[in-house]
Amino acid sequence: MKQLFRLFVVLIILFPFVVLFTLSMGRNWAYPNVLPNVWTLQNWQNIWSLNADLSQSLILSLLLSTGVAAVVTLLSFITAKHLSFSRHKHRWLLLAYFPYVFAPVILGACLQFFFLKLGWSGSVWGVLLAQLFIAYPFGVILFSGFWNEQTRAMEQLTATLGGNSLQTYIKVLLPIAKNALLICFFQTFLISWFEYGLTTIIGVGKVQTLTVKVFQYVNEANIFYAALASCLLIFPPVALLWVNKKFVFLE
Amino acid sequence: MKWKVKYINLAIFLLLTAVPLVAGIGYALLYSVALVGILSTGFTLDNWCKVLTASAFWWSLGFSFYVATVTIALSVCMALAVVLRFGQWFRRGTLSFMIYLPLVFPAMVMAFYAFQLLSKSGIISRIAFQTGLIKDLNNFPDLINDNWGAGIIFAHVCMATPFLIILFNNLYQNENLPAFVAIAKTMGATRRQIIQRVEIPVLLNKSFSTLMLYFIFVMNSYEIPLLLGSQSRQMISVFTIQKLQRFNLQDIPQAYVASVIYTGLVIIVIATGLSHFNKKKTTMNQRHII
Repeated sequence: MKQLFRLFVVLIILFPFVVLFTLSMGRNWAYPNVLPNVWTLQNWQNIWSLNADLSQSLILSLLLSTGVAAVVTLLSFITAKHLSFSRHKHRWLLLAYFPYVFAPVILGACLQFFFLKLGWSGSVWGVLLAQLFIAYPFGVILFSGFWNEQTRAMEQLTATLGGNSLQTYIKVLLPIAKNALLICFFQTFLISWFEYGLTTIIGVGKVQTLTVKVFQYVNEANIFYAALASCLLIFPPVALLWVNKKFVFLE
Repeated sequence: MKWKVKYINLAIFLLLTAVPLVAGIGYALLYSVALVGILSTGFTLDNWCKVLTASAFWWSLGFSFYVATVTIALSVCMALAVVLRFGQWFRRGTLSFMIYLPLVFPAMVMAFYAFQLLSKSGIISRIAFQTGLIKDLNNFPDLINDNWGAGIIFAHVCMATPFLIILFNNLYQNENLPAFVAIAKTMGATRRQIIQRVEIPVLLNKSFSTLMLYFIFVMNSYEIPLLLGSQSRQMISVFTIQKLQRFNLQDIPQAYVASVIYTGLVIIVIATGLSHFNKKKTTMNQRHII
């Protein structure tokens, strides 16, 4: 009985993946057929054709999310240090939680005016900046746990032994922060990768990331391409999860 | 030089956290009282009166609260049941990896999946037809775009339950619950008493702040209610954005009023919840000391 329930849990977890993958390879799914009438790899092959919308969205999403993750990881690692060692550490960190009070889409709507004035509305740079507003505080909160008395003592010890600031970072701090840096990069990549509301408001439909594309296909009732775009959306996080389990958190 | 670096870093922090927040709320507030924007006519509270006396805003707020409450209640119950009965499955082996898989679904994809599963022409309806449970597509109940938000709740529960299973499972180990359970057993407690008086109180108490933040996350959600919600019952994010994007310019200030009120309410809920939680924690610590 227990084994049967275990199998049931496995099937429940895998079922959404099976549904999306099946639909991504289907065409002509008339009611009441449980499976599509026509099976084809054409949808997947179309991704790689030149000027294909979907491949452009995939590349744009990858570049945007990688950019957000890289900027946030670098900036938050450094700023979190100064905040964590400041006299008003708790006040600063409380401030980092506040952007999450706003629903991202409402935050986007309230800031749209400023983006329009700056000419960044509808541009990739504008969307990147808007996504920083929700990803950067996460990085600061994450690294505030890393910058503690122990890391400060290590920094002081390196200085006592004659190491300069650059050497301290390269030889001491970055190696011990490797896991935290990777987690921050992965998590902020995912925050950006999953983002829809803020992107669609600030991007005004011109910045077509994969999430925007899925919504567009659903609206057009093109379920097979929506499923295909969904598969493309869930593949990188699965890969990151696997890398995380396999290489980062070795038990 | 050192203090310069420090202040540059603080400036970056403020620019990316406080400045957008203050600018956003400030602009929304000024727009709502007609001091800025295309319709600015000088200070007026008309838009505030309209929103506060209109039932649509309160329905929307109430609907968001209802969806978040039902989602959290269902997800917590299911996650607790799984962790307390089969927790060891998720600590090692295949399931310890597989339980993370549902977390890779963005809200948009989960909404699309829920739509394909629960709509009148969805997979469940097709299976019901093939097995003779329904004779016509119209016999299948309205689970998507319905007034009770069944589809929205389903999608959120699918996202929240695996997350809570992972959370409760980690807490179970970190809070050393197996040792507490062993002590309770030695003292003669029944399995039911252990669950009711040891395991559930500890897990819920330790996860209170996370549950509260998840509650806010569900209330804030946009993509899922946009795809799966109905036009007559809208969650607050959808309500606000639709008002902002309508052709009627008179609706824009009202959308900003809704944003300001909702943000204010969320701040109050978080502040009250956290202070209540901290007070409870302090009282418990004092009891321990006594």
